[in-house]
This record gives sequence, C-alpha cells and structure tokens, in this order.
Amino acid sequence: MKFLLSLVAAGAVSFAPNILAADIPDRPEKLVFPPLRYEPPNASDYRVPLQAGPIAYLVPDHERPLINFTIYIRTGSYLEPAGKEGLAELTGWLLTHGGAGTNSANQLEERLAFLAANLGVSIGDTEGTVGLNLLTKDLDEGLGLLRDVLYAPRFQDDKIILRKSQMLQEMKQRNDESAAIEEREAGFLARGESFFENRYATSNSIAAITALDLEKFHYAWFWPSNFVVGVSGDFNREEMIAKLEKLFAGGPENMEMDHLQPGGTPPAIPTQFNFAKAGVYLVNKPEVDQGRVTLMLPGIRRDSPDYYACAVMNYVLGGGGFSSRLMGRVRSDEGLAYDVHSRFPGGVYYPGIVSIGFQSKSRTVAYATALCLEELKKMSAEPVSDRELNLAKRSFIETFPRAFATKTAVADALAREEFTGRYASDPDFWRNFRAKISAVTKEDVQRVAQKYLQPDQVVVLAVGNKADIMLGHPDHPAKLTDLPGGKVTDLPLRDPFTMKAQ
Amino acid sequence: MTVPQKKHLAACLVSLAMATTIPAQQVPVTETNLPNGMRLLLVERHDDPSIAGGWVTHVGSANERPGITGIAHLFEHMMFKGTTTIGTSDAKKDLKILAEQERVRDEMRGEEAVMRRDVRRGKISDLLKPENWTPRYRELQKQFAELVAQERGVLVKNEFDNIYTGNGASGMNAFTMQDMTAYFCTVPANKFELWAWMESERILQPVFREFYSERDVVFEERRMRLESTPLGVPMETFNAMFWEALPYSWDTLGWPSDVSTISKAQADAFYGTYYVPQNITLILVGDFYTTNAVALAEKYFGRIPRGANNPPDLVTLEPKQTVEKRMNAEVAANSQVEIFWHTVPFGHQDSYALEILAQILSTHTGRLYKGLVLGNGLATDVGAEQNSMKWAGFFDMSGEASPNHTPAEVEAAIYAEIEKLQQAEVPAEELQKVKNNFAAAEYRKLNSNMSILHSLIWNDGEGNWHEINEANAKRQAVTAADVKRVASEYLIKENRAVATFTRKIEAGTEK
Repeated sequence: MKFLLSLVAAGAVSFAPNILAADIPDRPEKLVFPPLRYEPPNASDYRVPLQAGPIAYLVPDHERPLINFTIYIRTGSYLEPAGKEGLAELTGWLLTHGGAGTNSANQLEERLAFLAANLGVSIGDTEGTVGLNLLTKDLDEGLGLLRDVLYAPRFQDDKIILRKSQMLQEMKQRNDESAAIEEREAGFLARGESFFENRYATSNSIAAITALDLEKFHYAWFWPSNFVVGVSGDFNREEMIAKLEKLFAGGPENMEMDHLQPGGTPPAIPTQFNFAKAGVYLVNKPEVDQGRVTLMLPGIRRDSPDYYACAVMNYVLGGGGFSSRLMGRVRSDEGLAYDVHSRFPGGVYYPGIVSIGFQSKSRTVAYATALCLEELKKMSAEPVSDRELNLAKRSFIETFPRAFATKTAVADALAREEFTGRYASDPDFWRNFRAKISAVTKEDVQRVAQKYLQPDQVVVLAVGNKADIMLGHPDHPAKLTDLPGGKVTDLPLRDPFTMKAQ
Repeated sequence: MTVPQKKHLAACLVSLAMATTIPAQQVPVTETNLPNGMRLLLVERHDDPSIAGGWVTHVGSANERPGITGIAHLFEHMMFKGTTTIGTSDAKKDLKILAEQERVRDEMRGEEAVMRRDVRRGKISDLLKPENWTPRYRELQKQFAELVAQERGVLVKNEFDNIYTGNGASGMNAFTMQDMTAYFCTVPANKFELWAWMESERILQPVFREFYSERDVVFEERRMRLESTPLGVPMETFNAMFWEALPYSWDTLGWPSDVSTISKAQADAFYGTYYVPQNITLILVGDFYTTNAVALAEKYFGRIPRGANNPPDLVTLEPKQTVEKRMNAEVAANSQVEIFWHTVPFGHQDSYALEILAQILSTHTGRLYKGLVLGNGLATDVGAEQNSMKWAGFFDMSGEASPNHTPAEVEAAIYAEIEKLQQAEVPAEELQKVKNNFAAAEYRKLNSNMSILHSLIWNDGEGNWHEINEANAKRQAVTAADVKRVASEYLIKENRAVATFTRKIEAGTEK
C-alpha cells in the first residue's frame, strides 16, 4: 500500500443531506461544509536514483491499463551554435520521425501507430522533453523502441529534407497572425535582440544544418546523467525500476561519434538580458480591426522572497480571472475586451516578465491601455481590501490539490522539481506553499506593488491598425501619446525568413 | 474522514468480436431523472478529492434564427452575472434600474433602426463607427451610461465568480456550440452542496445584469476569433455556403449586425424557451457517494418548475446537395484547400465507418500523409475528419500546398486517394491499426474527472450519452467493406463544397 497513495485526502465526505427544499438558504455563506484535509505528495515516497544515471519518480496507478513516461533532458536551443538556429527543434522532431535502431523512419512510425503508442520528443529553449504513453501490454516493446529513439536515432536524410520544408512553411506564416507578431516582439522588447530566447531559425540557418550537426547535438546531450524521469500508471514499482535500469544503461550508440567527448552537463543557461526603454511600441497591421496589447515590466525569480506576495498581488490585479480588478474594469464595466489578464511568473533561471495583456477594437486600444495603467498604479497607491486579500489567498489555498489531480500530474510535478533544482534547494516548497500564501499581508501586497509595478518603466506593445489606434475614440480622450514615455515608436515587421526589419 | 477508495473503472469489460482488439473500459454512469424532467448523470471516482460538475442545455446556435444569431452564446455569458441574491446589494433597486435601462434601450433601438435605414440608403457606411451615430443616439448613450453608473452603486461585481473562487473552485467556464451550451467547474470534494446551490440558483432565478457591456465583450470575442485572424471570416463564409437550409450556416458568434442589436427581452424569451429542466442534463464526476448526490440534486434542482412547453424541435432537414460548390479566396495564409462533404449526424449507423475512414486518411501513418506529404510532396500538411453533429454531419479533408505547388494540385491528389478507397478494400492490418487507436483512446479519455465530464457533456449534448460506452464497439465492428461503401456513397463530387485559399501578399522575400 505504501506506493498506492500518499495523499491524505478526506475522500468523499459522508453526510446526511437535509432533503427539504424549504431548507435551502438564500445565501451560500449559510451552507456548512465538512472539513477537507489534504497533504501534497511526499517526493521521497516516489524518488528513485537509478544506477544508470537518471533520477526517476514512480507513481503507480492501476485504474487503467496505461503507462505514461516523461523524460526531461538537460539540453535546449540555448546550446545551438550561432548560424544553426533551429537545430534543437529539428533534432527533437527527427528523434521520433527519422528512424531509430533497426527501424527505418516509416517502420518505426508504423509500429508505434499499430500499438497506439504516443511517442513524442520536443526540444525547447532550456530543456528537452520525451513523452511516451502506451498500453501496459506493450510495455517491453515500447521501451525497446524508446531506447532506440534516445540512443540510436538514424536522422534519415529524406526526413531531414521533409522537416526543413515544413519549417520553412511555418516560417512563412510568421506575420500572418497579429498574435504571433505580438508574442515575438514582446519577447524582443523584454529580453533584447541578442538574448537566446530571441534567436529564431531563419531560412539560412535551416539550410546550414547538416545531418552531422544533428548527430553531434544529440550525442552531446542525450546521456542518462542529463535525464530526469517521471513514470505513472499501471506497473509494479520494483519491476519498473529494473526496466528503467535496462532502458537507460549506457548512452548514445554512435560509432562515428566515438571520437567526440559527450557533452556532460551542459553549460549554465544565460541569464543576462536587456529590458527595453519605457515607452509605447507599435507594429502596424492595417488589415485587422482589433489591436492586441501587452504591457510589460521586469519581474522576479521564483526563489525570490517576494514570490508569494507577488502571486497574491497579481491575483488581485489581473491573475484572478473574473475576480480580478482588470477583468472587472476593462471587461465587465466597459465591455472593451474579451480577454484581459495579468501575469507575474517567477522565472526558474532568470527573472520573469510581469505582463498585462488584452485585445480591443482599434479605436479603444488607447482607452483600455490607459485603464490598465490606472489599475496598475492603484495597486501601489492604496492597500488592497480585506475582501480581495482573503479571496486571493483562499483561492490559492483551496485549489492547491488541483496541482496533483492525476497520478501523471504527480509524477510530472515531482520530476520537474528535481529537474529545475528546487527539490535540492527547497525540498519543502509544496509542503510550505499554503502557509506562505496564508502569511501574506496587505502591507506585503502594497510593498511588492510599489517595488515591481513602476509605471515609469512600463513598456507597452500594440499590434494593430495604426491609423485607427492613433485616432482613438470620441467618447474617451485617451491617446497612446499621453502614456508614460510620451512617444510612440514604430516597430517594423520582420522579414519572416531572415527576421531582419523589412 | 473516510479512507480513499481505490475504484477500478474496469469493472465491466466488453468482449469484442476480434480477439486482437483491446477490451474497452466502461464508464460506470448512474442515470436518474428528476420529477421535473431534468436528467442526472453521476460517475463516482474517489482518487482525487474533487468533483467535476457541469450541466448541458440542449440549445445552441442551431436553435437561433436570422436577427438573433449569436444569442445562445451571448446568453451563456449572461449566466455568470448573478441571481436575485448574488451580484447585488439591493435587489429591489437593482431591478428598478434594469427596467429603466431597458426603457432607454428601447428608444436607442428606434434610433438604431433609423441608422440601419441610412446604411441601406448609402448615407452612412458603418454602424459601428462612432462618427456615424445620430445626435439623439449619442444623447441616449449618455443617459444609458448614467444608469449604468447608478447600477454600479448596487452591483456586487462578479460575485458569482468570487463565491466559487473563494471556495476553491477552479476551471469555471462554459461553452456554446451549434447543438449545446455547457457550464462546468471543479470544486473540492466537500463543496458538493455549494455547487448544487450555485448552479440551481442561476438556472432558477438568473438576473442579466450588465447586458449591454457584455454584448460588447462578445463582439470583441468575435473580432478576436474571426475578424482578426487570416482564415476566420473566409471560413465563416465557406460554412455559410456549405449549409443550405440547416441553421449551421452561421457561426456560434453570430452575424455582426445581430450581435450588436440583441435585446435583453430577446434573451429573456430565449431563457424561458430553452432553459427548462426537461432540456437540461446535470453531470457530476468525482469524489462523492451516489445516494447522497441524488438526494442533494433532488433538493436543489427539483425545486425548479418544469417548463410549460417543451422546446421546439428543429424540423429542417438539409436538402440533398445536387451540384458541387466552389469558393476561391485570397488570404494572408499559406495556400491550402478545404473540402466538405455532407455525411451523417451523430449516432447514425454510418458515422462509425466514416470515423474509421477519416482515421485511415489522417495521422502521420495515414493515406493522405503518405500519399501527399511523403509521396508526391504536393502538400506539407493534411487532415481528415468526420464531424457528427446533432442535426447533420460533414466530412472534412484539407491540405496545405508545398512551395511551388497549388491548392488545385493538392485537391486533385486528395481525390486520387479517395478513389483508391472507393475501388479497393483497406488491408486488414491498416484497418486494425486504426481500430487499435480508437480502443486505446477509450482508456485515455478517462484521464481525469474533467475529461470524463466533457465526454459525457458532448455525448449527451449531441443526443445520446450512452455513446460514451457504446460507440467503441460499433467502431470495432466496422468492416473493410463498410469503409469502401461509405467512401463511395458520401465522398462524391455533387455532394461536396471546395474552398481554395491562396496567399494574397507574399510575406517577405522567399528564398
């Protein structure tokens, strides 16, 4: 039973409901609820350091005959050599689509499809992820295929050509959607042109990537010491440990690469970035009738002592959905936007970006932006109400069990804590989370608002029909030129194939 | 406190004809009908201390008519505005202000009629432009704004959401489709009664506050989803061309003219017609005991009186299409082709073979990808899907043209793949591969309380919740001959509509 469940949950609460409709109170506060106790999963109950190298988290669950594997890999596009942007993404795709072991690409894909097994690899900015979901009965065969993909990929030439042409097709669409332009330009403003997150694949960089580049990139980082694994589903713990040892033993098998040193632990992730000068930046997209706006400020890392106060503050401002001030003002009061929100993420490796985002018809972009800034300033000017503070805190505390709603979520959450280093630096993070949120005061909220929400530093990005946006609305005198910074800087569209200004 | 129970959903296994197939996992649903006609579906699941609760009303944009298109969706938004006791500090004053607002709005509607006439006569171009509004209309807008300010004095902003959020509910949301409107959230296991209180109150006595600002919100949603995306409006046009008579021809978001004129009185009438207990199914999945849940549901939802009339049936049947339809669009997107064929609705005996056919064509190991992407290289992306909806269905195939190839070439290659399926039966192994994936999907859909809830919402909304447990066996029973037959019967020229999209402006210099 030890590994069945470590959740101390109240389970279904037994109650004898009063069945008379006449007893229904006129307000929900009059309802009385039985208590619900909950403790988060204890990492040490699931943690297994494998002799083969990886740390694994095993969370058995026999409800359905399925097993799910997630492998986090220390790699990422930040390791791409200059001029080979797109290499990480291409490598990830080809691991499952370029053949592996004795199977050609088509054989491998056919076999996985026949087993109804989902196997996928993706390599993002700062990590790689391998996911495998299969039926219990296919476990051994599936793990054999997974080992081939991890250690003996074939990077078939025809598939490299195929994927490159698909990447070019995707590239061609970079300016089609204003949402894509907004996201990209927000990244450039928040981190600077040279930060690794903003190095984009170009038609030249894709053309420059060779099969040898892919093999080298894979050989450098796909070693078991760089893996953290989460496994959940229908298995026996001891048997699974033995299978994982066999799966991960050794490393990439590539005779041509034997002269190369495996990369070992990858170099540290760069953390230096340049946040843009305060002001309004605008990308003209004349054919759309709705402007997309992002307001940004530099934020914090998730290990900052201000993390909890910032989380509560952000909830009140615009993180709390319909219960947030921005939603109340910009959407419910004024009907100016369908979506308006704020985010205050704690960065894992470097400070996150505080942001407010919304979309509004061109003529009310300036007015809605002014309202967002007003709400932002209000957070510093006066303390939040007791009602707002309590609502935010109760929401964080009461929804806390949702982070571990399924066994797959438990395995993944624990594996991520390990992978990103918080298990080592703050092993009791989850256990203490609710108490830390609970301790946040109104003074804390106002203090962090004053510290981080500085209106004279705000960078505003708008993407949309410039003429209409600048015209504004007769009922609302707000103009973009009245906002902090005083002037509007035009950002040119980038050539989708070179990412240079057009 | 009770000890968490480990419950195996695999309690009942369906044995299937083919030995090689995976046995399906049934969802143990308990069905109860309340005396007022409301259906109750319950699935006990004790792993996670939460309950996913939702309800589906059998109304959507298919129940609208020109003039009020978009009302089902606008109505969904209004259901979050509170009740007679939630959302206001002074219910009496609140209702008085709301009535006063409607008086001003009536007068505004008169002005809107004048402005629409001016649009028809070419005196003004666009009703949405503030410069085109009449002086009287602007004056009335000011009066209305004052009443809105008054209303704020007694309004408790977003209180419905605040109560849920402060009690640990999460993922509260709703959606509107052609055939259904659904409302759902997850509550902690000890808050079952809160869910019952909140949802029964808003079905019983909702108050549609902030109606007109919410109408603007919905218009922004339309701009975001349709008007500001490259394929949004062109696909809206294609859809309108495809459906001849059935009210599937407009988007759930409604036509712009209609969304901006829907009145609160129309919303009230809509509520009275469709939000009656006999048109609603309650669905709960999670950590509760069925006996208690039924008693509580009866207590809270049983008090809602049965509607005097059943909602009207949709009598229109889509007439048989006799000529091919074509649309050519220039857009800011990669060149591509989209083809729709009229097929069959949800639960039709051919829908299962059509689903199998779609899977044979799609996925990375399917016919289209092998033929057009890996084979002749005409396309970079392809897809196929059978869409079985309540009143009708359609089969959809699409392909994005490779550089230096045209949508017309992709279209011809798609027809060549179809022809092969019409002429020869699919080999046994290929058919089995597709069936294996449907069988595995039966387990995957049981991933969480919320995923089971959504599956039940969808099946019940389309017309038969039992399909959650019965559809798989019907798909597994499909033969190669069935697949060949439906390909021959439905995927024919006279029955299709084709949209070709070509890139309007070359984005940058192509290398």
